[in-house]
Formats: sequence, structure tokens, C-alpha cells
Amino acid sequence: MNSSDAVREGLIPLLPRLRRLARALAGQVADADDLVQIVLERALARAAQWRPDAALDKWVFAIARNAWRDELRARGRAQHLFAPEEAGEMAADGTAQPAQRLELALALAALPPDHREVVALVLVEGMSYGEAAELLEVPVGTVTSRLARARASLQAQLGKDA
Amino acid sequence: MNPIDDDTLQAYVDGELDASEAARIDAALAHDDVLARRVQQARALRAQLRAAFDPVLDEPVPQRLSALLQAPAAPAAAPFVRPASGHGTVRRRAPRRWFVTGAALAASVALLAVTLWWWRPGGELVRTQGGQSFAAGALEHALDHALASEPDAKAPVAIGLSFRSNDGRLCRTFVLRRAPARAGLACHGDAGWELPVLGAAAPVAGGELRQAASALSPEVQAAVDARLRGSVFDARQERAARDAGWR
Repeated sequence: MNSSDAVREGLIPLLPRLRRLARALAGQVADADDLVQIVLERALARAAQWRPDAALDKWVFAIARNAWRDELRARGRAQHLFAPEEAGEMAADGTAQPAQRLELALALAALPPDHREVVALVLVEGMSYGEAAELLEVPVGTVTSRLARARASLQAQLGKDA
Repeated sequence: MNPIDDDTLQAYVDGELDASEAARIDAALAHDDVLARRVQQARALRAQLRAAFDPVLDEPVPQRLSALLQAPAAPAAAPFVRPASGHGTVRRRAPRRWFVTGAALAASVALLAVTLWWWRPGGELVRTQGGQSFAAGALEHALDHALASEPDAKAPVAIGLSFRSNDGRLCRTFVLRRAPARAGLACHGDAGWELPVLGAAAPVAGGELRQAASALSPEVQAAVDARLRGSVFDARQERAARDAGWR
């Protein structure tokens, strides 16, 4: 099996998790799926760089994180944070209380990218600190401190009931 | 006792502490309400995030995304779907929609090619598709239906462990009882049971294979170890996974 077939077939079962990660990074449904599309195209184009002994999920999540950073740069800081009235889109599919979802969406959107990505990788995707550190190419201590600060901001934003 | 700082408490909530450290926090929580409240807040935040994003896992994947992962575009398909160039700005919300048609067309071409290109090493139990081995015939049937908790000594295939792989797929180990005895690992995807590992099984004295689970070759065992997330399925989980079609 050549590497592009292996990557293509291996990505199919990862699509739901990739969409979840993209949603946590990008926020809105449409932006997140645009991000997933970019990630899939990049992953297929770079399939030859994937080593079969490396976990495909980590590899493609790293592509997703880098693609998201690229998108942020391309769109500009001012634009990437969606307008507050748009945040409701994210709450559309929810199981939680709509008001609570909106609050969470706003709190996440307010995080700097460094913090948002550790929240997405560790708290949403469920990676260990070590795995997130490897993906982000930073020391574990950096992941820990970013996560602690992200948690503090989220809890402060979400306020009393969190 | 050392004081418990924020990073340690966070690591506790995220399951990053070793057993003895975690036990130290457990003990401290029992008589420290402030600490217990901080842990509860951190857990609640984590739960809130999961509740917000886990439903994405159950959403249907948009066709424009799954289409990208269908069989590779056959070169002949491209000219029919090339978009008009110099046609103004493509709206961001509909990026490369033409590609979906192209991929679907390419997929049917590739499917035809695959159908014409089947081969059967090992007596119809294995087929190849796109250069990868897949279970076929009695092996595919056993992987689809047989339960390790209800072994059938006369079946040609013995099922061993079932578990969820770290790529999200469900995988099962198996041993082919008839000669040449082979042990392997199968992981379920849209194209069927892919066989990332298929090798010789070691028969024990007397020529009989041991129990399927213990007859795993080192190669299969290593493949399982590399993929296993959590623990292997018990009888109830195995049955539930089968009834759910190994999704």
C-alpha cells in the first residue's frame, strides 16, 4: 500500500475527531469545516511525509493546528475572532443550555491562540500534556502553564457557576 | 506534606499525576474544602467543553469532506471537472465545490478498477484493494460475526482480542486454523477489514493452535500494543461492537 492510499484510508475514521478539533479551534461550523478541508488537502499532498510508525491522528492534528495558525495569519487578528452575534452559530447543535453554550463560545473566542490550542488539544481532544507538547513543539511546562492560564481565563469569563 | 500548587492540581484533574501523587491529592481533598472546590471547578470546565464539542463526533460528515478521501482522482476524470479559470473570486463558503463531482467520478472509475483487480493469496481469505490487504470470505465473515466469548472450535477462524484502536477504528486479532496457520490483526474501516498484520502463527506441540488470544505472534502482539487505547473489550463490549457493525 503506498503512503497516499494509507493516509487517505486512515483519515476516513479520523474525520469526526478532526472536525471536533477544528470546531474547538475555529469556533464556527463553516469555518471549522473549511479548515478541515484545507487539512485534508494538505495531508493528502504530504502523504509521503507520513511515516507508518507514527500515529496518523497526531500527524494530521499537527497539520490542523498549523493550518489553523496559517488561517489566522492570513485573515488577520482582527477578523479571526468572530463577531459576538455570530457566536450563536456554534451553540446551534448543543446539548448544553444555549445560554451556557454561547457563553463558552465567547470565552473560547477571547482566548489568545496559544491558549486556545492547548484547550482544544488537551481538554477537547483529550491528549496528554506530553502529546500536546510534542505536537506544538514546546516543552511540557509550557503546555502546563498555558493550560493553567487558559483555564483561569475561561473560568473568569464563565463566572460564578463554572 | 508539600503544599499543592495550581499546576499540580490541574495535572491531577487531567489525569497526569502518577498514582502516588494522585493519592496524595485524594487525601488532601478529603479534608480541604477549598481545594475540593477548585478541583470541582476544573472538572466542571472540562465537562462543559466535552459537552460542547463531543456532539460534533456524532454529526454526519459533510459530503464535500468525505469526498476528498474517496479513491484518488483518475487522471482521465480531471478535464471534465476543471473549473473555469479567471471567473472572478470564488466565494470562501463554497471552496472548490467542483472537486466533489470530480472525486465522485474518480471514485467510480477507481471502484471499477479495484473490482477488476482482485487476487486471493491464502485461499480466498484475503483480498487486496489499493495495495492493501483486506479480509475476504470466511475470514471476513468471522470478523463480522464471530464472538471470542462464544468460541467455535470447528470454525476455520478463531477470534482473539477486540479493541478500539488509537485511530478510532475497531480492531480484532484472529488466527486461521487451517494450514498454513496464520495470525493477524484486522481493523474495520469503510472498505472492510483491513489487515495491517498477517503472519505465521506458531503452532504448539501436537500441531494444535493454542487459544486464539494466546497464539498471537509477537508481530501481532506488537501491532496490538501500538494501537491499543484503553483496554480490550469484554464479552459485553464485543457483542455491542458487533451489533453496531464495528463502527
